[in-house]
Amino acid sequence: MVRIQLRLTGAILLLALFFSGLAMADEANAVWAQLTDEQQQVLKPLASEWDTLRPWQREKMLDIARDYPKMNANKQELVKKRLSNWSRMTPYERENARKRHQQFQSLPADKKVELRKKWQEYQKLPESERARLRAESPDTYTDADLN
Amino acid sequence: MSTHQNKMTNVNNEQDTNAMVEKQIANNIIELLNNRAQQLTAPEKQRLAAARSLAVNQLTSLQTQAIGHHGINQSGSVLQWLGHHVGEYFGHHKRVSAVLMIGAVLLTFFAVQQFGFNHHLENSDAFLLASDLPPEAYADKGFNAWLGSN
Repeated sequence: MVRIQLRLTGAILLLALFFSGLAMADEANAVWAQLTDEQQQVLKPLASEWDTLRPWQREKMLDIARDYPKMNANKQELVKKRLSNWSRMTPYERENARKRHQQFQSLPADKKVELRKKWQEYQKLPESERARLRAESPDTYTDADLN
Repeated sequence: MSTHQNKMTNVNNEQDTNAMVEKQIANNIIELLNNRAQQLTAPEKQRLAAARSLAVNQLTSLQTQAIGHHGINQSGSVLQWLGHHVGEYFGHHKRVSAVLMIGAVLLTFFAVQQFGFNHHLENSDAFLLASDLPPEAYADKGFNAWLGSN
């Protein structure tokens, strides 16, 4: 009896995993017209280029749309404002950003404030100077890291 | 001293004497047994061991029966009693136990998923976009280099 119960439970879990995986794969292949109203509303800045995005890119964007309702109005506004730039970043830049964001999150509050000020100062530098700094900095990630 | 008190004293003395006599007899028996035990042959020792084993087994089976009939055994092991009755309940209600088991596994599965989801949420791209700094600040290699040089 116990063996049958264990087999039954295992089968239910496998089915649950299979169907959840299937649903995720389907979503990543969805064209713009197939998205829900809520998803379209969040991802509106990407409407014109959605159908050209690769499935893994769509999946990441759909993750953003899924987490969006859990944010307050101010954060939602920031997401909408920054979404277009984010989608235009290269995989290198995005991976760098994720890593730095994680480091930033672990900083104490005073260090975060200091870093915000530094970012404002950095933006006041001439574009040529910023381009020079970028050119002189090596890539943090290699191709192998992003595959 | 009254007659009643005399009688009571006599009774007590008689009881003490009887106890002393019994104790003396018991000591004599112990002494005899000890002396005899040293002279036991191997077959006699073997028979005694077998008899002891039989007695212990009988006592164990009696105690097991007592748990079944009276709920709590002589040592008062309530947990043993509870485990026995819960086991008996699930033995009789196999469907209920199957449903409970599946429910517990599914609950654990969803709890683990929820934990993973919450962990993912903290590191999701949506929260990066809503962060204090814009994504360009995190991605800009030049900013990082400039911070290092300052």
